[in-house]
Amino acid sequence: MNAEPLLNRIAKVFAEQRLEVVMVGNAAAALHGAPVTTLDVDFMFRKTPTNLKKLKAVAKTFGAVILRPYYPVSDLYRVVNDDRGLQLDFMAKLDGIRSFEGLKSRSIPVEFGEHELRIACLSDIIKSKRAAARDRDRAVLDILQKTLDEQEKDQH
Amino acid sequence: MNKKKTSTKKSKPAESVLRKESDRALVDQIRRLQALPMNQRTHFLRVRHPNGGSHL
Repeated sequence: MNAEPLLNRIAKVFAEQRLEVVMVGNAAAALHGAPVTTLDVDFMFRKTPTNLKKLKAVAKTFGAVILRPYYPVSDLYRVVNDDRGLQLDFMAKLDGIRSFEGLKSRSIPVEFGEHELRIACLSDIIKSKRAAARDRDRAVLDILQKTLDEQEKDQH
Repeated sequence: MNKKKTSTKKSKPAESVLRKESDRALVDQIRRLQALPMNQRTHFLRVRHPNGGSHL
């Protein structure tokens, strides 16, 4: 399914709420050109009281609820609307990534509609998946590495 | 017995050729995707089925 309409809406809602996030995971990898698919869109954010309020406002806009699945490593907030098949995961911690600021400084702004979303650089996505070392992360590492190799060839 | 030996010997190069072909197809697919602007590489979302499973 084409995620463009959803990403346009996400970019607009985040901009309206001034919620600063960086897209990570397979969705971000796909935007780098990796032929991978995903059921959700993952983001890293700074967990502050203000951002949690903004997250509630984002969930309300999408008619979604915020769930706290038990995954303590990531400090995960899941915004879900089952009727729309929407799942946005917001993580305050990410395996292999030291800080949100570092991730953000290496990320790339990409325009969706009239707004921008920051996309984590592919080497950070690979680093995070390698550190998480779950089977589903390991399964795509080879594809992501080949995508990074092609990206680097293009830049030289 | 000889037949078995021959088929085993032949299957290894065939496997390696298939792997190379598969790698080449993957790299081609990546290059095609990277030729698009980043905000058009958006056909990655799977739709969850209510009773389990998903489709693109």
